[in-house]
Amino acid sequence: MEQVSQRIPLIDAAEKLTGRLRFAADMTLPGLLHGAFLFSPRAHARIVEVDPAGALAVSGVIGVWWHANTPQNSYNSSIWFAGQKALADERMFPPVVRHMGDRVAVVLAETEAIARAAVTRIVVSFEDLPAILTPEPTVAHAVAAAGVEEAIYPDPVEQVHFTHGDPDAAFARADHVTEAVVYTPRSHHCAIEPHVCVAWPEPGGRVAIHSPCQSVYAVQAVVAQALGIAADRLHVTKAPIGGSFGGKAEPILEPICALLAERTGRPVRIAFNRHETFTATRTRAASRGKMRIALACDGRILGRETDVTVDIGAYCTGGNYLPGSMLQRLVRLYAVPAERYRGRAVYTNTLPTGAFRGYGSPQIHALGEIVLDLASREMGLDPVAVRARNIVTPGALEPWQGLSLGNARGADCLHRGAEAFDWTRRRSAASGRGRFRTGVGMAAATHINGCFPGEDEATTATLRLTPEGRIELTCALHDLGCGSDTTLAQIAAEVLGLRAADIRITPADTDTCPYDLGTRASRMTYIAGEAVRLAATALAAAIVDTGGQALNAARSEIRLRGGQIEAPHRAITFADLAAWLSVRGTDTPSATHTHRATANPGSYAAHFAEVEVDTLTGHIRVRDYLAAHDIGRAINPMLVEGQIYGGIQIGMGYALYEDAAVDPKTGRMRADSFTRYTLVNAPEMPPIRILLVEEGEATGPFGAKAVGEIATIPVAPAVVNAVNHALETRLTELPLLPERVLDALGQGSSS
Amino acid sequence: MKLTLRINGSVVEQDADPLARLSEFLRQVLGLTGLKEGCCEGECGACTILMDGAPVHACLTLIFQAHEREITTVEGLGDAGVLTDLQAQFAGAGAVQCGYCTPGIIMSAEGLLRSTLTPSDEEIRHALAGNICRCTGFETIVRAVAAEAARRCEAGC
Ligand code: FES
Ligand code: FES
Repeated sequence: MEQVSQRIPLIDAAEKLTGRLRFAADMTLPGLLHGAFLFSPRAHARIVEVDPAGALAVSGVIGVWWHANTPQNSYNSSIWFAGQKALADERMFPPVVRHMGDRVAVVLAETEAIARAAVTRIVVSFEDLPAILTPEPTVAHAVAAAGVEEAIYPDPVEQVHFTHGDPDAAFARADHVTEAVVYTPRSHHCAIEPHVCVAWPEPGGRVAIHSPCQSVYAVQAVVAQALGIAADRLHVTKAPIGGSFGGKAEPILEPICALLAERTGRPVRIAFNRHETFTATRTRAASRGKMRIALACDGRILGRETDVTVDIGAYCTGGNYLPGSMLQRLVRLYAVPAERYRGRAVYTNTLPTGAFRGYGSPQIHALGEIVLDLASREMGLDPVAVRARNIVTPGALEPWQGLSLGNARGADCLHRGAEAFDWTRRRSAASGRGRFRTGVGMAAATHINGCFPGEDEATTATLRLTPEGRIELTCALHDLGCGSDTTLAQIAAEVLGLRAADIRITPADTDTCPYDLGTRASRMTYIAGEAVRLAATALAAAIVDTGGQALNAARSEIRLRGGQIEAPHRAITFADLAAWLSVRGTDTPSATHTHRATANPGSYAAHFAEVEVDTLTGHIRVRDYLAAHDIGRAINPMLVEGQIYGGIQIGMGYALYEDAAVDPKTGRMRADSFTRYTLVNAPEMPPIRILLVEEGEATGPFGAKAVGEIATIPVAPAVVNAVNHALETRLTELPLLPERVLDALGQGSSS
Repeated sequence: MKLTLRINGSVVEQDADPLARLSEFLRQVLGLTGLKEGCCEGECGACTILMDGAPVHACLTLIFQAHEREITTVEGLGDAGVLTDLQAQFAGAGAVQCGYCTPGIIMSAEGLLRSTLTPSDEEIRHALAGNICRCTGFETIVRAVAAEAARRCEAGC
């Protein structure tokens, strides 16, 4: 193949590398106004009065808006399309603030500096209400966190119970039972581009919104709900995005930015600074999970019982989906004959949570993979062997939704990964008794490919031959930086005999692109890729037809190759064909295909880590790493590897450093800057080897399936398991901060 | 206050608040938006530029500190729209993903390569310690910088 399986650079690499790509923060517009917010300093309070006079007196201030002079429509920032059923508990400016960082007011001014200075002159009086800052005990929520509107704040927000087989019997006949509680922290996306939005009025009473987002249609639906206007009055275009990881999946600034552009008739930009991006956007939900596993003496899992609570913060957003998502992923990794699952999402008066690379998967895998590792150790069994004994096999059906897991190659990841890592030898090597201890650990993982069967999982792609002889792809696509545009261009180019660079992708735009779910749920390559492949196949047929006429050749003689339409002994370029057609007054060929998924296979991975722990300081260093991924087929191995490298970095942070915890006494998030939220930087990254298992997935384009989210999912448990191996500890509270390590070694301050 | 800055080879004389952030001045007044502001606290490195050939965080630099100095931004590295060899190494190695950190990392790497002929991987990693990239895991970036160091060495030393 010429394009597929090739290490082709990003088609937009040059724009990014030269700094010429214009992000939303880089745009200038005549008459641009700037907004700045006043955020709640209280965790839960009724706003008694807002006095904007001081701010309005500042020269250059255009106006101040708060709950009394803005629409009070309830909305849910996580809906993907109009009419989607969702708990609508948010407002642009709520009369009762429900977390520190909730929006109290916005100032609009001629410059950002003026807006920010004026914000400090707004005087607000609050009446404090009782705040719930930790997810337990949950019973209290219904009373305290409910505030004024009990009806829409249920407790728990959502719960999912599931039983399969006979768990009680499984535990009764088990040779071994292991039980543990695992805590995963609230964590922050830290996309390097802070949240930003630009909006301006358009003719016909419409408003244009230009923002880095994951779905222009989701932005349109949310803003329409918040403003209480028809969706077609909003024209949403995708701005280039400086990283998202789920953090920009929910429109946060867009409703207000659009409202202000409409009210003032001028373009408006609101740009969060880093502090605001930390404290007033979204985080990954913290979780507390308890798991019991019943095993036979040979390591077979007989039954499992899971109880998980996720703290989704002050607003529902999409947090109600978390318990179900976690169950969905839990049951797709191992063949467990008896399962009992209870999951619940609860409100607290803390920053709302949202999507973050894996959507529940990192939490549930941390739980499942750490507890299974403890079980293996207690039984004296090899962790790889235990996983290999239980991992699902190709074609297996999962018990919850009854779906086939497709060509599930988790076992290949385990075996090939273990061999390449030299697992058996390294695992049995002594970890030493000195100050520095080394250990190796591993974890397996699975993730989904798209939203089937939960949503109508469809993508419509249109490909058109342009007069210049290139191909234009129209589809509401959002490349979040992962290279999905390049991947899709490779797929189209492969079918059409072109190069990826010959495919021009029109930016996502609600006025010109058909509805799409956007970039989420690991659906780009598997769903959008297949839509593009099928549209390209249809376009190729049309080009072969017209090319046959132009070359006076039979269809069967025509080949599309090297940017040309070839017949025996003669050929024309795509541009020649376009010219030939336009001379004859004939339309240039185009093709549209809607691909609607009817499957949701699993992607699988096994990660292996070696760590060194300094028992004096509690500091952990990851020294070596290997990631084996069941990817079906890598459309672009270089970009696939890029996803895995980046996923490991984020997962290592999740395991070791990253903690956006909220102070349980004050409700304040301590991690509000890069100084107080430690990331894994270049010096901390270990050497990484990557193995790709490419056994093909029948329903994916050229056999491909997803990698973006799964890349980060097994990392934290692999690292934690390695530390527990090095120290013979039972560390189960993430991140493994030095004080927790020292505590576990009996050297901490609390011991 | 009237300030003289030498930016990307041209002399810019401008009345400006000497205590304003250089990053803001370059982006908003001169339209050099290649450099980004990811934190304005000296932590992310997205705003990295070269001052007299050495990488600095433009967000922590006040305009007066740039007076009479030689400033290079990503726009000044090569001819408009054409990749420098270092940038081409990044593209070829897959060292750019979302691209928000990228101009800053290019400038840090360029600064390193101007002062160190044959940096080890560890030196490269430490030179990039002030730049956060949330997408790439740094692996491909380190490779791209190492490849460019090797190329320059072969070409020049
Ligand atoms: S913007 Fe200067 S270091 Fe982050
Ligand atoms: S490429 Fe996205 S932050 Fe570096």
